[in-house]
Amino acid sequence: MLEDGQKITICLPATAEYVDVVRLNLYGIASKMGFSYEEIEDMKVAISEACNNSVLHAYHSQNGVMEINFEVQGDALSITVKDEGQGFEDWEPIEDDQALHNKDLSNVEIGGLGFYLMQALMDDVSVNREVGQGTSVTMTRKVMRSEETV
Amino acid sequence: MSLNRSEKFTVTKNWQDDQCIVYLQGELDLAAASDFRKMMEPIMSDDKLHLRMNLKELKYIDSTGIGILLSILKVRHSNNSTFVVEEVPPQIQKLFTMTGIAKFFAVQDNTQVGNERKE
Repeated sequence: MLEDGQKITICLPATAEYVDVVRLNLYGIASKMGFSYEEIEDMKVAISEACNNSVLHAYHSQNGVMEINFEVQGDALSITVKDEGQGFEDWEPIEDDQALHNKDLSNVEIGGLGFYLMQALMDDVSVNREVGQGTSVTMTRKVMRSEETV
Repeated sequence: MSLNRSEKFTVTKNWQDDQCIVYLQGELDLAAASDFRKMMEPIMSDDKLHLRMNLKELKYIDSTGIGILLSILKVRHSNNSTFVVEEVPPQIQKLFTMTGIAKFFAVQDNTQVGNERKE
């Protein structure tokens, strides 16, 4: 069992080929904390969405780095994905974002689903962006205690 | 279930007369997306074809892959051709429902039934 306050940091090239490495690390840490299969699958998608955005938007195809911090906060896991790129202009949280709900196929737009999914899959998501400092996305999820969890 | 390793994304196509079944396997993520999109382009624009996609062995999808499915849906819808998605694993169905893409698959399914009934 991981202890409260422990932190794990990994730095990877911000390219698509490394996003599955982030998922593998997440699996290792989240399973040690007692998250269920389904919870881990949810978090895999959320963390990948944050990494995808670093890969796609942050560096405009220059060689950049993404830094992923995992922090054990009691019975919750807090994950931060950080880059030092240009930012996420098209990735603002939208107040009335309904993804594809209540829309017709002819007028749905592709894209914009990533942030929606992150918010739907995690308990809490926040985006911090500073000009010249890059973007960081922090997301948290609590372990649901079940009979099977030791 | 091999959770602790990533599975390379592979696609197998099965042609039968005017039907094509596309079997997806492994993890459809950003790294796999552009090859998959390119591979699907000639297939999705063929409006004579009955297109089915089998997701039984698909282990992972995110907004990148859902975006490709959405673009296939849009093309098939605009040229009035069929696209059926089958054997969707529960975890992936959950993402389809969450994003709202699920209802478009349902519509496609009904269209297919409608055609068979010669409506």
